[in-house]
Amino acid sequence: MAADGNTERTLSVDSRGRLLGLHATLFEAVLLGATLFGIVSLCILFGYIAFDAFRPLTASIRWYLLFAGTLVLPTTAFTLYARRRPAVRSANTKAFGAVGGALTVTLSTYIVVDALSPYDVVLCLLFGGYLPVVLWLIVRRTKRTPQTGLTIILAAVGGLAVAHGGYDLLRPIVGIAAQWIAYFGIVTLPVACGLWIFGRRRWSRQTARRAALSALGVVLLIVALALGLGIDPSFWVVVLSAFVIPVAVVIGEIGVTDPAGRIGSAGPFVLVGGLSAFLAVERQLGIDGPDGYLTATLLLESWHGLNASSAGVYPQIVGSIVTVGVMGVLAFPIGIGGALYLEEYAPRTGWSGRFATLLEVNISNLAGVPSVVYGLLGLALFRNALGFPTGIVLSAAGTLGLLILPIVVVSAQEALRSVPDSLREAAFGMGASRWQTLRTVVLPEAIPGMLTGTILALARAIGETAPLVIIAVATTKYSPPDGVLSSATVLPLQIFAARSNVDPAFRHGIVPAAAVVLLVLLLLMNTAAIVVRNRFDRRSQ
Amino acid sequence: MINQESTPAVQSTAETTEHTESTQASRGPAIEAHDLSVTYGTETALESVDIQIPDRQITAIIGPSGCGKSTFLRCINRMNDRIDAAAVSGALSFKGTNVYDESVDPVALRRRIGMVFQHPNPFPKSIYDNVAYGLRIQGISSEIDARVKLALKRAALYEEVSDSLEKSALDLSGGQQQRLCIARAIAVDPDVLLMDEPASALDPIATAKIEDLIAELSEEYTVVIVTHNMQQAARISDRTAVFLTGGELVEYDDTETIFENPEHDRVEDYITGKFG
Ligand SMILES: Nc1ncnc2c1ncn2[C@@H]1O[C@H](COP(=O)(O)OP(=O)(O)O)[C@@H](O)[C@H]1O
Ligand SMILES: [Mg+2]
Repeated sequence: MAADGNTERTLSVDSRGRLLGLHATLFEAVLLGATLFGIVSLCILFGYIAFDAFRPLTASIRWYLLFAGTLVLPTTAFTLYARRRPAVRSANTKAFGAVGGALTVTLSTYIVVDALSPYDVVLCLLFGGYLPVVLWLIVRRTKRTPQTGLTIILAAVGGLAVAHGGYDLLRPIVGIAAQWIAYFGIVTLPVACGLWIFGRRRWSRQTARRAALSALGVVLLIVALALGLGIDPSFWVVVLSAFVIPVAVVIGEIGVTDPAGRIGSAGPFVLVGGLSAFLAVERQLGIDGPDGYLTATLLLESWHGLNASSAGVYPQIVGSIVTVGVMGVLAFPIGIGGALYLEEYAPRTGWSGRFATLLEVNISNLAGVPSVVYGLLGLALFRNALGFPTGIVLSAAGTLGLLILPIVVVSAQEALRSVPDSLREAAFGMGASRWQTLRTVVLPEAIPGMLTGTILALARAIGETAPLVIIAVATTKYSPPDGVLSSATVLPLQIFAARSNVDPAFRHGIVPAAAVVLLVLLLLMNTAAIVVRNRFDRRSQ
Repeated sequence: MINQESTPAVQSTAETTEHTESTQASRGPAIEAHDLSVTYGTETALESVDIQIPDRQITAIIGPSGCGKSTFLRCINRMNDRIDAAAVSGALSFKGTNVYDESVDPVALRRRIGMVFQHPNPFPKSIYDNVAYGLRIQGISSEIDARVKLALKRAALYEEVSDSLEKSALDLSGGQQQRLCIARAIAVDPDVLLMDEPASALDPIATAKIEDLIAELSEEYTVVIVTHNMQQAARISDRTAVFLTGGELVEYDDTETIFENPEHDRVEDYITGKFG
């Protein structure tokens, strides 16, 4: 029948169909080729850098066996075991997240505070943080004014002004206290308060209070112990408050709420245990590891311009972290403020609307201006107009802050735009004022996106070199900065300087090793951005 | 009941909160429009509308798409303020106060005129926080638990969610979300409830539930409901207003009259489905 013949014709593969199939296959192959080319060339580049930094061929077979036996095997086995069971896997991820996050926070807090002087930080915190919060709580309790949010901001600004004005008087008073007390105020108290607030939501009021108080108690106990043994407890206060307590809380909670996945929280401990065993055996048996440049010396020591094996980039790491931190503090509020104005407040029609559109277009364009040009801007603004000394942290952070500001604004705008308008309508329809709508509906939805964008922008800035060369930041420094007004250098500049050292050990050893350090810093920041974004995704689904 | 001090601009009449049993005629209209027109730029969305919406009854607004039903509703609680292009002229009063008067605070107005939208739009918060939202932004901190529970009960949702109040509102079904939006709107005890096609995105069973709910709510609230569905208007409303293309209010009368014996041929054509 005709219909049958028809069906047969369309179903069988003819030469035209074969040709089309060939086209499709070819196209797919080209796409795959382009992807592979990109990935492989990146791998070769990173492999090359890592090879120079670690020098893996210099290690003995015994070392590799030890490495595999203590670190690779147990971790892999545990990961494979965890992957099969969803509950265990999620507990494992959570535990790793807690340990990694707490470790990053702990180390960067300690490094930054140590560089800036704990007494200065605690002074700022006292007047700009604790006093306003206490004041706010009092105002809230008595309910004198409806604008409690404004009180806290005014109090913080006023407090900081007082701290600044009375610095010469206040600093010696604060300085009487032992250093660990300053760290206690900087880290332990906020952690205990955070625990209390978090606990009130998660558990009961009583449990929360008990948890916060016992956190304080444990820290004080360790302090007493350390003082008894004659050790400076400062570092241990930070480690205990910012690392041990949060990790213990997260893992304790997994243990209670998720009995099926409980075993998963052992993941980080398998890794840490393996690492300790590895180090102990390595030292005990005197096994030689690879004779690379990425060593503890590189991470913890000061720069040395003549001898590559004793050169360290600790001052540069601190410089980078402090610069990025100050940059974030400068760029985040301004960028978010700009985005909020443009998205939520700016008029859309008339002359003022046109002005707002002009502003918006210009900000997007600024995001593409070459970084060297921002260097010139920084030079003109901070050195020539404001008269800052050459190469201080503040002008470096300010210049890079200007560089990332448009990116922060644009990504924050994107985050605000992704909040559905129906939510704003709902809030307005309930009789929320514009500010209430922002605070209760729009911001909670948009903040993760804003943070992600800002962190990615900071990650871009941490690798910037050109604008810092233009504003004459020192390319080599032997000590970390001790405040935002002191001079400092950053990792990429030191890499740049080491590249022209006459000693090849610098050019082919220190440079790649420092590059790996920089990449790891970058990786940490990107991971943070991804974690923030994933949390956001999970919540809005 | 709700914090009257915070809403000084909208005059509150004692009768609104007191009686429930007096006859319709003894109360003034809740909402009254005179020569109300709205334009979006050059486009006219409402053309000289005159209407008196009675207190504590259900008024349905029907008409083809684009005839200005939503625009009219959004005039009542000044949600049109959010649209720069919208220009309102004429008078619209709520309990005798001109809502477009300089001295009226739209925020205070919206606290007394609740709104339910076409697509359910719960906040991405817990069920409890959604219902408590209006109370919290008004600074009411007493008996939140009881008020939330009451609102959920009145919205016929309490049984379904009583043991999952802390769960995200986004996990609810579409019909449940819409009832949650109604609960959220009535938790603050408004005087008027505006509903813009509240059931158009829902399945028939959810729609039936919402209709029952609206019938019950009319004992305490003035309900103005926009609907696309003629049967729905006929089933639940006391009065019906028919808007036709061009933003014109063509006929406004008791629902029965509109559906059985309309004055205008165009209205009859529309109701019997000849166009629209
Ligand atoms: N935000 C707006 N901007 C411009 N025109 C609008 C806007 N909203 C509605 N309109 C126009 O106003 C008219 C009435 O719209 P609307 O009130 O939404 O009608 P309905 O709800 O009856 O379908 C339509 O022609 C529509 O195109
Ligand atoms: Mg509509």
